[in-house]
Amino acid sequence: MSSKEEILNKVVLDLFSYDVDGIRVDVEKALEKGFSPLEVINALSNGMREIGDKFARLELFLTDLMMAGDTMKAALEILLPKIPKDKAVSKGKIVIGTVKGDIHEIGKNIVSAMLTASGFEVYDLGKDVPASRFLEEAEKFKANIIGASALMTTTIPALKDLIEYVKAKGLRNKYKIIVGGGPVTKEYAEEIGADAYAENAVEAVKTIKNLIEK
Amino acid sequence: MPPISFIEVLNRSLTGPVSSEKEFDYKVGMKLRELVKKYDIKYNPENPIPSDNSLADDVFKAAVEFYTDVGTYCMDTERRITFTEDEIKEGIKNVPHATLFGEGNEAKFFSARTLESSEHPWCHVGAGIAVSSEELLVKLVEAFASIPETDSVSVPTLTEVDGVPIRTPPLEVYGSIRMIALAHEAMKRAGRPGLPILNLVSTAASQIAGIAATAPQFGIKPTDGWLVDAFPDLKMYNDVLTKAAYLLNWGANIGACYTPLIGGYSGGPEGTAIMSVAYSINGIMVLKSRYQLYYVSNIVNGSSSSRDALWALSVSAQAISRNIKVPIIHLSYQAAGAATEMLLYEITAAILASVASGISVESNHPSKAVLTDHIIPMESEFYCKVAHAVTGMKRSEVNELAKILLLKYEKDLNNPPKGKKYQECYDVKTGKPKEEYLKFYKVMEKKIIDLGIQIE
Repeated sequence: MSSKEEILNKVVLDLFSYDVDGIRVDVEKALEKGFSPLEVINALSNGMREIGDKFARLELFLTDLMMAGDTMKAALEILLPKIPKDKAVSKGKIVIGTVKGDIHEIGKNIVSAMLTASGFEVYDLGKDVPASRFLEEAEKFKANIIGASALMTTTIPALKDLIEYVKAKGLRNKYKIIVGGGPVTKEYAEEIGADAYAENAVEAVKTIKNLIEK
Repeated sequence: MPPISFIEVLNRSLTGPVSSEKEFDYKVGMKLRELVKKYDIKYNPENPIPSDNSLADDVFKAAVEFYTDVGTYCMDTERRITFTEDEIKEGIKNVPHATLFGEGNEAKFFSARTLESSEHPWCHVGAGIAVSSEELLVKLVEAFASIPETDSVSVPTLTEVDGVPIRTPPLEVYGSIRMIALAHEAMKRAGRPGLPILNLVSTAASQIAGIAATAPQFGIKPTDGWLVDAFPDLKMYNDVLTKAAYLLNWGANIGACYTPLIGGYSGGPEGTAIMSVAYSINGIMVLKSRYQLYYVSNIVNGSSSSRDALWALSVSAQAISRNIKVPIIHLSYQAAGAATEMLLYEITAAILASVASGISVESNHPSKAVLTDHIIPMESEFYCKVAHAVTGMKRSEVNELAKILLLKYEKDLNNPPKGKKYQECYDVKTGKPKEEYLKFYKVMEKKIIDLGIQIE
């Protein structure tokens, strides 16, 4: 293996060992060796995909996903500004959060980490998020997709509120809205007029890819 | 050394070490990883219900070390509530090993069990499953209370009050108070008005509505029990602590409720077993609980029935049973829906793992408890009968049975059968099972008996 290839492998190894400081150094070295930012991003995306697949098989866990996400972010902070504006690398922009009244967010955190791992730009709004904030942040972030989660039977109706709110503001056609969470079903998602539903994080990533491609 | 008071816990939530939530999540994950290695705790899928006392004790020791270092996170104050090892040991020493529940003929002690005990587990019957009408809620609770083995009742979630969907806290207050009143009416109809309710007020998503419904003027007694839940992993917020403060001030029995998640911050089954015990210690130190209820789930398939979840449940139950001795219930979420063969296999596996490992049980939660009206009283009765039938069995025996059961259902955990609603299996007016369901049940009962489980 040439020393040029070795440095790209080292960047991916940094990702797998969640070495934020190491990846900053090695990304710079990879650029110095002549790799384009897009080549480095592609190598990292493949690594993140592998990490996501391992999580789906529970060979890795949520902490690994979060740390890998942080490491990837550190690399992207260096790489993204170096990419010409006409060569977009983002697969799409999504704002995501748990609805108003609900503070359960582990499931949402997993979806958020898996989406980041799959190359989406994710703006995680956290938990207990009012409908108005989902929309405000989607507008600011120039998102394509809004993802909302509810974990309790009593907070599920807030998903409907969100869709109604976006409709009332005349922006329903601007965003695809995907819903999920423990007690949410495909039937309920259809009933409230969501664009998509996903039962788990792996499915959420696939569904969102399909939504973007539509 | 006097036990740490609840006021001191609140003080520590204001003065403990500061931490962002993300820092806390990472600390949980990394510390568990370190302790799994240090104590050489290894998941063995060949033995989902292990018979290794030293493994159970190592998990307990690791949990004490973990909880001493990490503590409980208060999301409002962004501080960790921590305790010294001596304080934790003192807290465990003072745990009530039995708590009195129920009134009149139903008054009895819910006691901590021991491994492979010949004493029947406490059968907590019901489900937090949503129901579509007040009429159905009464029918279900009446049926739960009519099961002879029932020791306490969990009341399902009401979704509407006077035709209005329950959602915001003011509606939850009405819904929760109505839910309690209907449960009392149902227990009277079953001839067991003194049965205790040991619920999370499932209709109340907000703590304030939960507090409202647990007020004694709505028929609640000190011999009922109330679940107060920690958030994954080991997190509290002020609303939860407020509910605990209220309940402690009127002498209500607090039940610590928690959800250890395989695949979450606690990692694999080994870390999740340690986390389960740490949650139990949190229940003692922070919530001053007099009983506990937990449900181990696998974060990918959402159920408690996977091989790794059964292992984490069994090992943590053994660790708690041998070293903490608190009255404790495991609630299992099944992947399959009601009225399916797979559900009854999942139920049986969960009971085997719980009862032989020295803890008590809560009845079935089909379809991971997310589908409205998907609960069948005969399956709750089946749960109790199996729990009594397997009482006294050795861990080595139940391990072999669990392996047979796992082979029957584990391949379908990611794509389980949806099952049927109550209304498809029961006559709603009479509350009696339909002929078709009875036939299914009899066939299934025979299959379980053929495995060597002598249900009556």
